[in-house]
Amino acid sequence: MAENARALLERIRALPLHGPVRVMNVCGGHERTIAMAGLRRALPPEIELIAGPGCPVCVCPEEDVHAAIALALRPGVILAAFGDMLRVPANGARSEPRSLEEARAAGGEVRPIASPREAVALARAEPGREVVFFAAGFETTTAPIAAMIAEGVPGNLSILLAARRTWPAVAMLLESEEAGFEALIAPGHVSAVMGPEEWRFVPQQYGIAAAVSGFETEGFLAGLHAVLRQRLEGRAVLDNCYGTVVRPGGNPTARRLLEECFDIVDADWRGIGIIPRSGFALKPELERLDAVRRFGIDREAARKRAGEMPPGCDCARVVLGKIHPEQCVLYGKACTPRTPVGPCMVSDEGACRIRWGERQGADA
Amino acid sequence: MCLGVPMRVVERDGFVARCEVNGIERSVSLFLMQHEPVEPGDHVMVHVGYAIQKMSQEEAERVWETLDAVFAAEDAADG
Repeated sequence: MAENARALLERIRALPLHGPVRVMNVCGGHERTIAMAGLRRALPPEIELIAGPGCPVCVCPEEDVHAAIALALRPGVILAAFGDMLRVPANGARSEPRSLEEARAAGGEVRPIASPREAVALARAEPGREVVFFAAGFETTTAPIAAMIAEGVPGNLSILLAARRTWPAVAMLLESEEAGFEALIAPGHVSAVMGPEEWRFVPQQYGIAAAVSGFETEGFLAGLHAVLRQRLEGRAVLDNCYGTVVRPGGNPTARRLLEECFDIVDADWRGIGIIPRSGFALKPELERLDAVRRFGIDREAARKRAGEMPPGCDCARVVLGKIHPEQCVLYGKACTPRTPVGPCMVSDEGACRIRWGERQGADA
Repeated sequence: MCLGVPMRVVERDGFVARCEVNGIERSVSLFLMQHEPVEPGDHVMVHVGYAIQKMSQEEAERVWETLDAVFAAEDAADG
């Protein structure tokens, strides 16, 4: 840990906390920093760090995973997806592929990609085939998808979109009977794109201390110190602890392109249900890019079971920060990174996957 | 996939820049940076192949330090 981070840790330890404080983060990047720096062990026991809804892969609806599997198995179609999506499990008969990885083993054409630009390059390189880009992500990924669309995509590229907004999930938690946290570390890169103002409702409407933080240890600790100090001073505001990256209004080009390409819609979060105004959908004039429409995917069968996590899996409550990963009965037993049962153990952004790394690091 | 990586701009050609980190070069889109000039030597936060914001060199260095530790820890956990 760098000197500045150590100094911040000492300042946090010296704060006269009078009782327990639960601090939620909503980003896999923050959770990884907590795990890597061993902050749960290093911080005073009064401070409980909770991983909230910070993994777009984990909440990608099952019907979309089923649609992606069906498309991958279609002759002449290449299914491109971020690598994290390949092992995400969907419920189904054992005789049928239940993940993109299984679809690939069954002869489907599945390509892991790391950028929307790779989807475009793939479509250009394969003009005789249809390329479907299965895109799950939060605002930080959705803005690049908007850029991809605005720059122009080849006629043989379409999109299966599972894009979500972050703040409505936090708003839903705060509206519920038991939000489960007293302070929020808001996501730095979502704020870099959308502007920190999106998070002002947290202190203003709910009296919850909040700070936008970067992902380095020092940045996270600066945010943590800011929210704890707010609590001690009996006030709630939104502090910006991510300097030059997060600016008022966010990234104006990104916000303009998002508005041009997408409508804001109510959207399903796997295991959680519909969250109002939490999803992006292609504008009607961009319908030609919608893979569901282009291929006439029938989602009714999948929709009947939509929202379900695998049997016995507590990922939904993990995503909402209601329980820690190790409180799920499957965690570390039936469900490990080598044999994941739920999406939170599959994705690099998943709380279970990250906590597993933290534990292994502690044991080492 | 959600990992943002700071990179240094080496060269730009229209909306595409050659960027570098740790001696590794990547092609990065500047399409989301139309609201402000990006020049060689600038540092940008890169997310899924797109620069999403400019940042100071000091901030870039702080993030690199954390990322190095993250990757080392993940290698240890996966190994």
